[in-house]
Amino acid sequence: MSVAGGDTTGRQEHDFVFSCRSVSLKLPYQGGNRWILQDISLDIRRGELLTIVGPSGTGKTSLIRVLGGLTSCTSGSVRINGEEIAGPPEGVIIVFQDYSHALLQWRTVFLNVALGIEGRIAASELRIRVLDALRLVGLEKNADDYPWQLSGGMQQRVQIARALAVRPAVLLMDEPFAALDAMTKASLQDELLRVKQETGCSIVFITHDIEEAVYLGDRIAVINGAPGRIERTFDVTLPKPRDQILTRQLTEFLKFRYAVHQAIGGIIR
Amino acid sequence: MTARRFSGRLWWRPNIAGLLTMAACGLAWELTIQAGIIDFQYLPAPSAIIQGARELVASGELAAATVHTLESVFLGWAIAVAAGVSLGLLLGFSPLLRRYSLATIEVLRPMPAIAFVPVALLLFGFSIQTELMVIVLPSLWPVLINTMGGVMGVHARLGEVGRTFRLSRAAMLYKVFLPAATPTILVGMRISLTLAVVLAVLAEMVGNPEGLGYGVVSQQQALRPDLMFVYVVVIGLLGLALNALLIGVVSVSFPAAAAELKGYRP
Amino acid sequence: MKRGELGAFLRMAAAEIPPARGLIPLLALLTLWQLLAPGPSAYFPAPFEWWRAALLLWDSGQLLPAFAATVTTFVEGLVLAVAIGVALGIAIGTSRPVERALGPLLEFMRAIPPPVTVPIATLLLGYDVTMKLTVVALSAIWPILLNTSSAAAHVEPLLRDVARTFRLSTARWIHQVVVPSVVPSILLGIRVAIPLAIVVTLLVEMLTSLPGIGALMIQSQRNFQSAQVYALLVVVGLFGFIVNDLFAVIEAIVLRRWPARGGFRSG
Repeated sequence: MSVAGGDTTGRQEHDFVFSCRSVSLKLPYQGGNRWILQDISLDIRRGELLTIVGPSGTGKTSLIRVLGGLTSCTSGSVRINGEEIAGPPEGVIIVFQDYSHALLQWRTVFLNVALGIEGRIAASELRIRVLDALRLVGLEKNADDYPWQLSGGMQQRVQIARALAVRPAVLLMDEPFAALDAMTKASLQDELLRVKQETGCSIVFITHDIEEAVYLGDRIAVINGAPGRIERTFDVTLPKPRDQILTRQLTEFLKFRYAVHQAIGGIIR
Repeated sequence: MTARRFSGRLWWRPNIAGLLTMAACGLAWELTIQAGIIDFQYLPAPSAIIQGARELVASGELAAATVHTLESVFLGWAIAVAAGVSLGLLLGFSPLLRRYSLATIEVLRPMPAIAFVPVALLLFGFSIQTELMVIVLPSLWPVLINTMGGVMGVHARLGEVGRTFRLSRAAMLYKVFLPAATPTILVGMRISLTLAVVLAVLAEMVGNPEGLGYGVVSQQQALRPDLMFVYVVVIGLLGLALNALLIGVVSVSFPAAAAELKGYRP
Repeated sequence: MKRGELGAFLRMAAAEIPPARGLIPLLALLTLWQLLAPGPSAYFPAPFEWWRAALLLWDSGQLLPAFAATVTTFVEGLVLAVAIGVALGIAIGTSRPVERALGPLLEFMRAIPPPVTVPIATLLLGYDVTMKLTVVALSAIWPILLNTSSAAAHVEPLLRDVARTFRLSTARWIHQVVVPSVVPSILLGIRVAIPLAIVVTLLVEMLTSLPGIGALMIQSQRNFQSAQVYALLVVVGLFGFIVNDLFAVIEAIVLRRWPARGGFRSG
């Protein structure tokens, strides 16, 4: 599987493929305005998985929407490969939490995955890319099924495959596994790590699950407060590949978990 | 008839009690008239109605009337659907247009269809245009409202998916919004069809003297209740048949939407 | 607090109407009509002519009695339909064997469009006000009866278990659980029945020339008094609009106590 990263010919290689600087966001609220995000600065390196963790109400979803170009920030800038974005940028795809509303239920899995590339590349190439993406998430046998025939976990994998078919530089994932049961969640976590390994794309992963944040992340950013701001960021120096049982037993894991917990303020709302 | 999933085997369990009741009613009706117990002067026995049916079929009157009514229904319904979907799409996508037209729709919608008959007669006399004027406007509303509602009701997430994949506006409309709104639009079309049948008959009863509606009224005035009831039954069957036809066509072309359409009871 | 209540009532009535600027297309059309085709005409009399015709009808003492006749029949027919429809609907809906037996028969009768029942009634019952009332009630009863029986048959199954746990008698079950559960469906049925009742009332008047607005309209059409026809069209339209709005307010008031349209839901 080729390495993702967008078209970098003729451009200088940046260490940071995706970054935001001093992003603040104000949104209308009950007649007036309310600050949702305050002075957020983040850098994401190529091939890195950054988890953003924090309690609800801190603007995590709004941050993803700003990074994904769905909402314009009130001040600050978001850049991909050095260029400031205006609207949803090429090479950045959002994966939503409510998969059943995010998939086109009237299209087959194959056609769903093709959504981002149909009409934009040759038909033969399209077929290859869709099947590659489905293979990455283990759904190559379900290409002709409809989403409503599949389980929740499988539908979410379809959504991920749809994003991967585009060969994105960055995947923005908004609590993608929150609506799934614990066992499906665990298996999808590992699948995500494998996908990242094979494609080399960067991932920004939002969650309110501290353990998930530590397990998945190369780096963690803790977001807290209202308006939300980055409380702390730290590198997660746990060994790879991660393992659901072994990694979670390590003392290191517990230390990171504790550190995140503290950064949030020790209160889980 | 109730259709039940019955451990996979008998998918459709016939309603014995219901069938028996219907048969019993029919039989009771026939017998009480024959025995002379009830004698509404103008209530014919089922056997008389069947006899009348043969008479009308033989003379070709029934066929001619049915064809005329079908023509009116299809023409009127087609116009209503075309106008209703177009306007519904416009209004569904434009909050500005909605603000400047919803009140008009709310005022015009409760207008009883029959009130248009004298106006239509005034303008078009005894012709099919009179029928069409009566049919089109009220049939338009369900289609318009369902189209508008269908478009507005498309989940916000789908719009965001379109944007994250940077679909063009045309692609958004064609690939996301229209398919998502189709089930609702189809329900509107079904309501409209049922309405169109009723309106056609109405227009033929008091407006244009042709078709099944006129058949009912003319036989009533000619004091031939047996023939009148033939027309009544045909009208009822026509409504059912057209509905079934619509569901059939939809099942073939939009399988996903068909399920929702079948569940709807007007 | 009568005045406050009246104010609240009026405000609710007004709330049911979308923003007034939405009337602009209609007003524009009427204005354009008036400007382009002023004065009387056989086909397109100007709106002002309608107003003049309406005043004439009022002064000549024709409008009010006709309007009263139509409204009376409509209201009486609707009340009858509600009373009988609800009672029958609950009776049918709460008894599974009865529902299954009568089901197809009711479906069959529902398939007959209400307007068609008018000539039948005319033949069987004659040309009088009793026939008119009967046929209006008969047409309006179907949506109410069917909605009620369907809702009564589909009362939240969990509530059935609750009633059995507390050993409620059948009478209490119907009175305290079924009836409140079906109220939203009854209201929906009435909402569908109202335009039906209006149409059938007018239809009877047009076919039989029994007194009413419908008769007046057909008479005007036959005499080619076009402005009068349009004026009566507006009268009917206004009537329909006001009745619908009033009912929407009543619906809103009654449904205030319900969590969501459609009756009780679990969870």
